[in-house]
Amino acid sequence: MVTAFQNTQVLLLSGVLLAACLAKLAIRAPAPAPDHVHGVPLPGRLRQATALRHSRTMSVTVALVEGGLGVALLVTSQFSVRLATALAFAGATWVVSELRVRRPDAGCGCFGGLSVQHVDRRSVARALLFTAAALAALGAPRAGFAVLRDGHATAWLGLLVVELALFCLLSPEIPALLERGGLRRAGEPCERRHSPLEETMRTLRASAAWTGHEESLVSAVPLDVWREGCWRLLAYRAVSDGRPVELVFAVSTAAKSRRVRVAMVPAEDEPSPAIGKSTTV
Amino acid sequence: MPPNRRESARRRRRDAVLGALPDPAPDPAADPPSAVRPGAYAGTVLDASPHLLVLATPDGEVRLPLSDRTSVWHGGDGDSAALRPGRTAVARPHRGRPGTDRVWIDPVRVSGTILSAAPTAVDVDLGPHRGVVQVAVPPHVYAQIRVRHPRLEPGYLFDAVCVRSPGGPVAVAPGTSQPGHRADARTDLEPDAAVPTESHGTATWFDGGDAPGAAYPAVDAEGDAGGCADAPRGCVPLPVLSIGSAVTVHNSCTGRTARVPVTECGCVAARYCDRCVQCGTSPRGRLIELTPVAFAALGGDLDKGCFNAILRHDRGTRRW
Repeated sequence: MVTAFQNTQVLLLSGVLLAACLAKLAIRAPAPAPDHVHGVPLPGRLRQATALRHSRTMSVTVALVEGGLGVALLVTSQFSVRLATALAFAGATWVVSELRVRRPDAGCGCFGGLSVQHVDRRSVARALLFTAAALAALGAPRAGFAVLRDGHATAWLGLLVVELALFCLLSPEIPALLERGGLRRAGEPCERRHSPLEETMRTLRASAAWTGHEESLVSAVPLDVWREGCWRLLAYRAVSDGRPVELVFAVSTAAKSRRVRVAMVPAEDEPSPAIGKSTTV
Repeated sequence: MPPNRRESARRRRRDAVLGALPDPAPDPAADPPSAVRPGAYAGTVLDASPHLLVLATPDGEVRLPLSDRTSVWHGGDGDSAALRPGRTAVARPHRGRPGTDRVWIDPVRVSGTILSAAPTAVDVDLGPHRGVVQVAVPPHVYAQIRVRHPRLEPGYLFDAVCVRSPGGPVAVAPGTSQPGHRADARTDLEPDAAVPTESHGTATWFDGGDAPGAAYPAVDAEGDAGGCADAPRGCVPLPVLSIGSAVTVHNSCTGRTARVPVTECGCVAARYCDRCVQCGTSPRGRLIELTPVAFAALGGDLDKGCFNAILRHDRGTRRW
């Protein structure tokens, strides 16, 4: 029974290492965090370590090592491979613990660009559990492929599923992965959602409100651009019936199905009463 | 464009495209919402006597009657001798009767991240748009500061009510209890946390000049909105607004309500996940930093540092 448990850990570790390798190679981490945090510079060694951690060469090297260990766990039952895996997970636990204390603003990068959320206790607990699994796998007599081929071992696949579920629960990368795959809508409400100006401009230029009024614009450079909760507003100079007016566009900041509204108001210096006609497009 | 003109221009454009919200029916049981003024005045002391204080405010000269019931603060309880020409002052009239309730002389608030700390002085980064300042900590205040700031070391937050002096601000008392987290700590606020119609938390004050205004923690960094690029997301789910937007602030301790324009990015306030205990314990998080005159007009005491607040973000003023 103990042997079967150990064999299951080999499969788990191999799967995790291969997933980490693929994630690091396929999804690049975003731009590195600044070397100061709100005016407080990072100590020299920590700054160098951060720079090293964010270098692509380092990332690819770690990914290849992880991939190599993952494949080795599948094809061989060599003790040296198991020992290297245990040491790698122990080292990862130390790194993640240090990051949690020293860089609370940064992600661990364990799964490349998916690991951008700051390191919390869950990440440390996950690394600890993998280290424990790697220690348990030290004495596993069979390689991963051999375990899969063994019909009697399939009963332990239930344990593997439970462990994988626990791994998912402790992984902040899963929601990021689902959002990336379009399986989960970013639930951030439009009032708080970060909406880049480029996104607003793309939505505006593609809207019927823009094309319907584009001819009357005096300048393509907006007079004012600001945000009010779910709307980004853009005011443009325009001319209507020979009179200077302002076109005000309101572009939704929602993640999907963005609406665009437009209204025409007198130019600021014009004394005439508000035209104030608003349409939703 | 001057801030007031920009605010009115944005309001006009916004109402045209999104529609103006109707004013709600007044609630006779509630304290009527008021403009920030004349709830308080802020300016420079022009002249003072035991019976009269003359202030130069942004709206002109103001004469305020003083009496022996007027409380004067100048780094502690003072008297009319502290009302010297040239000093800055914030004065709050009595509520519902003539006379001046309280006068604060040369109040300064220092909130930010500790850059370096020694027993006699603390260097504080006030944020990207407020610079760095050195606060002198007198020996008799140091113990009091340490009680509320157990981590007086670089990277942690600092907040003190100070009094202005020729050599820089001098700490008088801690503003609030130091949050246990580092300034750079991210909050546990879920990205998909819903934005309620009104938010409960704490309101503090900052040195934002003599006009009514507020530093709001969630100002958009894009376009001309006026936000800080590296502002943290804060620990209260607030809607993203702009400089020139208006919010309605309610002081839960005094019942006063006012609509206040956003005049500055409150990225420093966003770093504080603290509470106010002026009247009960507020939920965690700084909703807004008010200018001294706005804070005093809403019934807040500058020397206390905060009040339990409710913030409403729409263009109308709600019945409280």
